[in-house]
Amino acid sequence: VSWFSLTLIMTSLITFVAGQLLLKKGMDLTNDGSPEGFRGRFLFLLVSGILAMTISFFLTLGLLQRFDLSYLYPFQGLSVILIAITAAVALREKLTLQLAIGALLISAGIVLVSLS
Amino acid sequence: LKTRISPPSGFGNPWLQLALSVIFVLVSELLLKRGASQTADLTNSWSWTGIGGLASPLVWLAIIFVILSFLSWLYVLKYIPLSIAFPLSRVVDALVPLCSWIFLGEMISTRRWCGIALVIIGLAVVARPVARMEERL
Repeated sequence: VSWFSLTLIMTSLITFVAGQLLLKKGMDLTNDGSPEGFRGRFLFLLVSGILAMTISFFLTLGLLQRFDLSYLYPFQGLSVILIAITAAVALREKLTLQLAIGALLISAGIVLVSLS
Repeated sequence: LKTRISPPSGFGNPWLQLALSVIFVLVSELLLKRGASQTADLTNSWSWTGIGGLASPLVWLAIIFVILSFLSWLYVLKYIPLSIAFPLSRVVDALVPLCSWIFLGEMISTRRWCGIALVIIGLAVVARPVARMEERL
């Protein structure tokens, strides 16, 4: 595994997490009624979210052609923890102890499933 | 403080949409791996972009499922916090090996069974406060 591959794996992970946060922020707007400038902000968040997810999608496709799914999957396990933390920080969602423990267990389980 | 919008019932139930989204992801992952493997050409200098995968019809079918899962996922995001919906959506990580075991007769090692169990326990830990929250509504 080269540094280049590892960089690609991390980029696909970070763009994925960023995409999820942008989409969530966009969909949250739809619950606020229609404040001023709603359409522009909503479209911006949705389009940039989709863009980030698309970059992540193609990077993953390229990685799948080089590596086994079982090698790439543990990295996806990290996304659960990353999203729980970044949602708490960037979206001010409540990160309870129970949620953190659950996210850690799921991540550990994903790593174990893909190691064997 | 934001007012909580009560989610619709029936087909518009966000928990049903979360389940649908997971099933679409499950199908798309299996199709993607097969399509990507069939079209792998590592001699091409552009192969790292994954663009060559588009030559496979299976990849296009997978893309349709990705779009379907995306639409139900957007709907889920409207009603459920990301830090709850996303961990729950990873039930797919227990379902993929389970489906391979049930439908394809693949062997599952002890370590993998432990991983599946951990994912399910983690899901239960995340889902419990949610179930209580829904009860109160």
